[in-house]
Amino acid sequence: MTLTLLFTLGEDIYGLEISAIQEIVEDPPLYYVPRAEGALVGAINFHSQVLAVIDLSALLGFPGEKRDHRWVVLTPQFKSLVLTVGSIHRIVNLDLSELQSSPSSAGVKVVRGVANLDEMTINLLDTNEVIELLNNQSI
Amino acid sequence: MRVEISYKFIVGFLVVVVSGVIVNLAVPYLQIPPEFQQFFSVACALVVGLIIGAVFSRAFAANIRRLTSVGDQISQGNLSETIQLKEGRFPDETSDLAKSMNHIQESLRALVGDIRGIAFKVAGSAQNLSSTSQEVSASAQEVAHTVNQINRGAETQAEMVEKSKRIFNDVARSINQVATAASKVAESAHQTVDTARSGSELAGASLDSIRQVLAEAQSSSQQMFNFIGQLQRISKFVEVINGVAQKTNLLALNATIEAARAGEYGRGFTVVAEEIRKLADSTTISANEITALVEGIRTEGHLVQSSMGQVIEEMEIGREAVDRTNHAFSQITQNAEVTRSKATNIAELTAQQISSAEQITRAIDEIDKVVSDNAAATEQVSATTQKQSASMEGLALSAQNLSTMSESMLQIVKRFKLVKEE
Repeated sequence: MTLTLLFTLGEDIYGLEISAIQEIVEDPPLYYVPRAEGALVGAINFHSQVLAVIDLSALLGFPGEKRDHRWVVLTPQFKSLVLTVGSIHRIVNLDLSELQSSPSSAGVKVVRGVANLDEMTINLLDTNEVIELLNNQSI
Repeated sequence: MRVEISYKFIVGFLVVVVSGVIVNLAVPYLQIPPEFQQFFSVACALVVGLIIGAVFSRAFAANIRRLTSVGDQISQGNLSETIQLKEGRFPDETSDLAKSMNHIQESLRALVGDIRGIAFKVAGSAQNLSSTSQEVSASAQEVAHTVNQINRGAETQAEMVEKSKRIFNDVARSINQVATAASKVAESAHQTVDTARSGSELAGASLDSIRQVLAEAQSSSQQMFNFIGQLQRISKFVEVINGVAQKTNLLALNATIEAARAGEYGRGFTVVAEEIRKLADSTTISANEITALVEGIRTEGHLVQSSMGQVIEEMEIGREAVDRTNHAFSQITQNAEVTRSKATNIAELTAQQISSAEQITRAIDEIDKVVSDNAAATEQVSATTQKQSASMEGLALSAQNLSTMSESMLQIVKRFKLVKEE
């Protein structure tokens, strides 16, 4: 059983293992990065550390401008990136052994698999792939 | 030396006798044949006699003829010829006769002159009389004409007086009607005043009621406003609660993350954090429900407030209308008061007018009497002028007769010629 943070991106529900999460922050002061492109929203000061803020919806190409005021700070293992999502739900326990492969995940590496919980379909994100994608986009 | 005719004849006779004697004595001496002596003496005597006779008779005859002719002329009316006899050496009785006839002629001349003068004067007087009588007659006719006119005028006057009487009766009737109408108007105005007063009182009462209701509505509106204010405070509290719930939710999330990081030791805390999150979620749900309820109540309250505002506005309008009504009633009261006083004045005035009209009617009656008297008087004047006219006609006729008589007298006297005509 793995504790997973559920949130929405566009119309769909995504999950992120909380082992990758350092903390969830609420409305920290945002510093805009000049000439920032793509999914880079800006930067925040997190415990005297300047962290880059990435709009996950924009990064993964979801439509909609909805953005939760609570942001997810990843662990230093994942470069301490800050992710914004559509809307944070809650933390659930997922049985990753029952993870199914996503039918459309052939070309999309960021989704590790799909889990079903209480009639919800949860796309579990692969954090490493997300970082990789960011690196590819050379932000 | 005056010698009477008889003496003259005697003298003549004696001369003839003497001449016959003388011739008889002288004949023998005249160498006249004797046979002719007798004849001669006779002839001489005849001649002497004829001469003396001729001389005498001529003298006589001339005077007599003169006298006769003058007498004839007198008888013809010529009084202008005075008798001038030849002044002989021996005037006789013919001279006396001539003197007497001259006297007669003078007397006649004076008489005829007097008569003529008098006849002239009479004719003049008659003419004057005639013209005067004609003038008088004309004046009398004018008087008659004038009297006729006066008569006609009097008739017209009588008609006018009659008409005036009729009109004035109408006027008096009208005045009476006006008086009745004015009393009715005064009565109506009085009723109007009463009605307007009670209307005004009613309007005042309804105004009071409206004021009370308005005040209540205003206080209700204020209460509703306060209520909405309270609701807003509730909303704020709910917002605070919501914020706290969200914070709690976040704390629960982070606590779960921390507990997960603690591994096996944090498992219990994860359960607690989950419970806290659930509480926070249910708090959020309840708070949202409260917000929705408050929102609903606030919307309803706003609706109530706005309809209350409308009610207040309408009541304000109603109050103004009632106010205007009250004002209108007071104006009606004032106007009706004025109308009543005016109508009363009219009634009083018409009463005065009625008495004046009665006086006028009496005056018209008196005028009528006077007009009748005038008519009678003019009738009398007319009759008198007619009589006068008749008398004047008689007078004119008399003057005419007198004129004719003086005319004929003149005509008669005209035969006498007083002055010798050249």
